[in-house]
Amino acid sequence: MIVLQNVTKVYPNGTRALDDVSLQIDEREFVFLVGPSGAGKTTLIRLINRDTSPDSGNVFVENTDVTRISRREVPKLRRRVGVIYQDYKLLPGLSVRQNVEFVLKSTGEFNGRTSKWVDEALALVQLSDRADHHPHELSGGEQQRTAIARAIVRRCPILVADEPTGNLDHATSWDTIQLLVRINALGATVLMATHNREIVNTMRRRVIEIANGKVVRDELGGGYDG
Amino acid sequence: MTAKLNVLRYVLGAAMLGLWRNRTMTLGAVVTTAVMLVTLAAFLAINDTLNEMVTALGRKSNLIAYVRDDARPSRVTEIMQDLEQRPGVGEVVFVTKEDALRIFQERFFDQRDVIDILQANPLPASVELRMDDPAVLPALADELRGMTGVFESVAVPLDVVERLVSISNVSRAAGTAMIVALTAVALFVIANTIRIAVYARRQEIEIMKLVGATDWFVRGPFIIEGAFIGLVGATLAAVALVVMYLQVAPTITRIISFLPIATDVSFVRNLAVFIVLVGLVVGSIGSYVSVRRYLAV
Repeated sequence: MIVLQNVTKVYPNGTRALDDVSLQIDEREFVFLVGPSGAGKTTLIRLINRDTSPDSGNVFVENTDVTRISRREVPKLRRRVGVIYQDYKLLPGLSVRQNVEFVLKSTGEFNGRTSKWVDEALALVQLSDRADHHPHELSGGEQQRTAIARAIVRRCPILVADEPTGNLDHATSWDTIQLLVRINALGATVLMATHNREIVNTMRRRVIEIANGKVVRDELGGGYDG
Repeated sequence: MTAKLNVLRYVLGAAMLGLWRNRTMTLGAVVTTAVMLVTLAAFLAINDTLNEMVTALGRKSNLIAYVRDDARPSRVTEIMQDLEQRPGVGEVVFVTKEDALRIFQERFFDQRDVIDILQANPLPASVELRMDDPAVLPALADELRGMTGVFESVAVPLDVVERLVSISNVSRAAGTAMIVALTAVALFVIANTIRIAVYARRQEIEIMKLVGATDWFVRGPFIIEGAFIGLVGATLAAVALVVMYLQVAPTITRIISFLPIATDVSFVRNLAVFIVLVGLVVGSIGSYVSVRRYLAV
């Protein structure tokens, strides 16, 4: 589903964010990506939806080398990969429902059929009754659930999350994780970068640890510290 | 197909919403464009009037080339045939010595005795030109003066024509410079308006790009906003133009009757259509430049 082959990414300031990284994530896997701040987790996530490109190496998503696709093909890739961020990236002027609809409208896919997808996504994240609220009227957890609904509304086969619980309290973080697990169970491949030791240790899923741009551990059913 | 329609509807809706949210800037850009285009139209009208004047005066003025008595008639005919083919030349007429004398006599009260005294006709034959475009007169006169074997002298009522041609040239140059400057200003104002619109919607744009909106889907609304500003500004200018023409032109014509102002409707209509097109193009280009520069999509 997601394959990195000898990927190296050096930023213009000389930082080696990823250094000869190779890894493979299969369909329907649920993978935690751990490591200290600045280890390269965000860079790795951004490579998957072509938000950035590596200096060398290949990144395959659903058997397509996304480092070689043209600009025009980038939107197609991004429609297959839902992304969730620590800061939610919701549009403040739009309601919960409108934020989710925005994805479909942005690609001209919003119609009677897909408006049902919006209802389903909102039901899945349990925000149906708050659909008309604006982000500033919501708690952090509700905002993140809105972002998750937005990421899954198009039924993307891949969901990547960059520190989705970074701004959330203990209980809300657990709600968010349960939601991601359910989405994974429904068929999506999930890759989640996180600092949340407790969640990783409790879930016992596959853990990929990177430090200084290198994969230092790849363990099935691992904990945060190996 | 429905997807395409959806996209179109979204793009148009987003453009209108963007214009409304940014209405002060929008209004400023529309007014600037309108002023630019009214000035452009005024210049075009003035230039047209000047050209008409030059042409009208040129039609009255002749070039007269006096033919030497010893010139070969076949050579003169040849030159006349050549002159008729030249651009800007209207009519070429040959006046014989006898004709010249008759005209002279008619003008000076039948003084037959002059001939008796002189024993011969002293007046030369001549080739007279009526011009369509007086601008070519000076060059043509010089050329004919060079044919010393054929022509004794060449007379051209140059001063008035030359002055008009030079006024017309100056007005064209000044007008062109002004149009370039005003177009640059309008482009700048529209591009800046769009830049601000891009900045105001940067969050939206970022998210759209991340969820897989195509480049044109992101750009579309901004381009349409620019085109819309240009179009509305141009329409205002066109309306102002038509009103001014209908009000002002007849008055001017009454006061200065010799001024050949183009008062016909088709001229104003063509000008108005032209202005609207210019507005549309300037608006689209201005926003496209801005989008390319500030949108990074």
